Amino acid sequence: MRFVSFRSAASVLATTALLSIATAPSQAQTRAETLRYVTGASVNTLDPNIPGSTRESFALSMSTYDRLVAFGRKQLNGKWVFDLDTITGELAESYDVSPDGLKLTFRLRKDAKFQDGSPVTAEDVKWSLDRCVTAPILGKAQLLTGSLTSADQFKVIDPLTIEVTLPKPDKLALPNLATVYPMIINSKVAKAHATPDDPWATAWLKEHTAGSGAYVVENFKPGEQVILKRDENWNRGSANKPAFFKRVIVQSVPEPATRANLVERGDADLVVDLQASDVQSLEAKGKLKVISTPQYNAITYVSMNNQLPPFDNVNVRRAIAYALPYDDMFKAALFGRGAPLFGATWPDGNPLNGIYPFQQPVKMDLDKAREYLKAAGLPEGFSTTFSFNVGQSSTAEPMAALVKESLAKIGIKVDIQKLPDAQMSTQINEKKLPFFTEGIVAWLPSTDYFYRNFYTGTQRWNYSSINNPELAAIAQEARFEPDKAKYEAAGRKLNAMHFDLMPQIMLWQPNQDAVMAPSIEGYTYEFHRQVDYRDVSRK
Amino acid sequence: MVMTGLGATMVRAGRRLLSSLPALFGVLVFTFLLMRVLPGDPAVFFASGPNAGKEEIEQIRKQMGLNKSVPEQLVFYLSDIGRGNLGRSMMTGQPVLKDLRERLPASLELTLTALLIALIAAVPLGVVAALRPGSIIDHGVRLFCALGVCVPTFVSGLLLIYVFYYLLGLAPDPTGRIDVFTSLPPQRTGFLSIDFLLAGDFEGWWAACKQLVLPAVSMALFVIAPLARITRASMLVSLGSDFVRTARSVGLSWGKVVVTYALRNAILPVITIAGIVFSTMLGANVLVEKVFSWPGVASYALDALLSSDYAPVQGFVLLMASLFVLVNLVVDICYGIADPRVSIG
Repeated sequence: MRFVSFRSAASVLATTALLSIATAPSQAQTRAETLRYVTGASVNTLDPNIPGSTRESFALSMSTYDRLVAFGRKQLNGKWVFDLDTITGELAESYDVSPDGLKLTFRLRKDAKFQDGSPVTAEDVKWSLDRCVTAPILGKAQLLTGSLTSADQFKVIDPLTIEVTLPKPDKLALPNLATVYPMIINSKVAKAHATPDDPWATAWLKEHTAGSGAYVVENFKPGEQVILKRDENWNRGSANKPAFFKRVIVQSVPEPATRANLVERGDADLVVDLQASDVQSLEAKGKLKVISTPQYNAITYVSMNNQLPPFDNVNVRRAIAYALPYDDMFKAALFGRGAPLFGATWPDGNPLNGIYPFQQPVKMDLDKAREYLKAAGLPEGFSTTFSFNVGQSSTAEPMAALVKESLAKIGIKVDIQKLPDAQMSTQINEKKLPFFTEGIVAWLPSTDYFYRNFYTGTQRWNYSSINNPELAAIAQEARFEPDKAKYEAAGRKLNAMHFDLMPQIMLWQPNQDAVMAPSIEGYTYEFHRQVDYRDVSRK
Repeated sequence: MVMTGLGATMVRAGRRLLSSLPALFGVLVFTFLLMRVLPGDPAVFFASGPNAGKEEIEQIRKQMGLNKSVPEQLVFYLSDIGRGNLGRSMMTGQPVLKDLRERLPASLELTLTALLIALIAAVPLGVVAALRPGSIIDHGVRLFCALGVCVPTFVSGLLLIYVFYYLLGLAPDPTGRIDVFTSLPPQRTGFLSIDFLLAGDFEGWWAACKQLVLPAVSMALFVIAPLARITRASMLVSLGSDFVRTARSVGLSWGKVVVTYALRNAILPVITIAGIVFSTMLGANVLVEKVFSWPGVASYALDALLSSDYAPVQGFVLLMASLFVLVNLVVDICYGIADPRVSIG
């Protein structure tokens, strides 16, 4: 089979020239100024607030809309990651926090313009924030975690100043305004498309953008690709310049092997969701740049339902914690690409610090596991199921096999259950699964936030269904604790309780493996775990 | 005479279409119920933001109409279908009808091309094998067919990508119907290879065809086997029959005997199989669509099924059922052309 016919040889050359930098220098200019980013996921809405929006939609909105503030970045082990503690202005030129921590005042940039050319005013900011806390959209639940719940909290002082009032001095109020949802929308345009049924224009904004972001949406094909064009007037970047790339192509390529081929051949510039095995071989070949960052706001668990027998018995949970073949699982599932959360040594038996997630002092020790089983009154073991979802099977399948094999040695018979994603989330939500693996991610990773959201209440994210009033009270109190030393003490206490109660087993934080052409620079691991197209440039 | 024959065929075809409506309705209701019986709550799945709680789940449930009872939902669904509304996909955020309308031409173009390649390869292979049964050629064809069936389409797809894109660099990157840097022609038929020709853009046409070759070939490889085998078997019967012996004995040319008499009589079962193969390919080419990032209906339906997104799955099944009815009709009409004694009824 030949692809070049004699008649069309000329047109083939013309087409390949578009792709190849070496053969056609005149075309190369546009290719060099274009970022082609391929991903297994897809963008399904232009407004990330719509229930059901994908992670890729979150990332897109970071470039099409601005927020009042943005996270800074810092180096962690030589790699750039977002910095929760440095909040810089984006649409805000500057901001003040009152001494009592109850008032945040933002002064807007005078030169900030929406993509249609109209200036960004405090009215737009108020409308956008009101929308976020009032409309039935995703922003509501997020801003709640920063004590932002009502439109009364946002007040226009003058056309360029807006004031946010808080009921309590909440550390997470300001960082919340830098997350995906509270984006600033051109209120005049949005209102023109609002209807009596839909006063916040959610239907229109799903298909259209009305923002002040670095990129304008040129072509949006849901589930296939989005093409973005640079807004030349945007100057909210670090150097007061527009974003580097003139054009960004976000393309969905479902097959991971194809994504790996594309980036290796140089047809794609950047990809963050390759399979661990592909990343390893690409890294070994050394032709591409691979930046691996442990996702320090994400955790993979082996979780047990603390309300269902036999896992309601703490000794059963401890037995499991000592019976897992951690090292083998880490190698089989992730090829060791991540940060382990097992195998620590606590010299005095106490947590090393008050930061969550932390490495627990657990390792495989079958004798100890058998003792715990005996203490639980189940020396002969028991039968259970271990579930994971289809979407995670590339990592979870080898892991599940190892769990089954190892637990069989202490008499626990495990049936592996592979569930379609929707079925898995439903069963987790209904608290029906006894024993399973899942992951979580927190946009604003602080110790109290993790414990409040993932270890209390009856909502889906409390995978282990733990209901411990003491733990909940300490976490709740820590939320508003201004004193750093006291906060640290609370964190240590919580971590000690975690190890003692062993509600679920933290396994690791998988790496985000960003694989890119050697010419790509500036990649930063962001809180939403996708690429912020404004970060990257080509040298 | 010809006119009345054609008219009668049309009337019969129309009657056939009408009589398939109850079956389509059955498919509709069955899929609707099946989706609701399957475990997995789409609302929980889609409310997967880092802070999504009960409120978000309820919100989505309301949006999808799941807060009503199943019979009520069915009535609403049927009345929507009656008005040509297939619902909205949570996954893409678009009306299902729009998604299907955009994606169906992609699937059809790929499947038709694959079927064409398969027929062009399979019929001569089958004929050659039948002419010399038991010969080395016959065994060669059998081996080739066996290989084609053994290798799953995604494996052959990945292999083709590896060789022609990754190693040799002859094929364009396997990402969909057209290279991202090529501008699209105005949409007329939705078939890119036709739209480019209509727009007079031959460079674009060539680019679209190049994208089409690898996925079509990997699909064709898989279906060559049944087509070639059935051609061989029915050619053998036909070659051994009395009329071929008579034709030979009266001294007709070899070509005339094989093509006009033997093949024309042997082609009926091939057409039947081709119709079935086409329908199966449309639904089953999901792996090829995934491997080549082909924006077709099958991968769309699979994604929807995994996330329990009801509307797209129901829309897809309805579409497939309707296509099946149409394909069967076309096959029956082809029978009439191949053998005037057969008429559809």
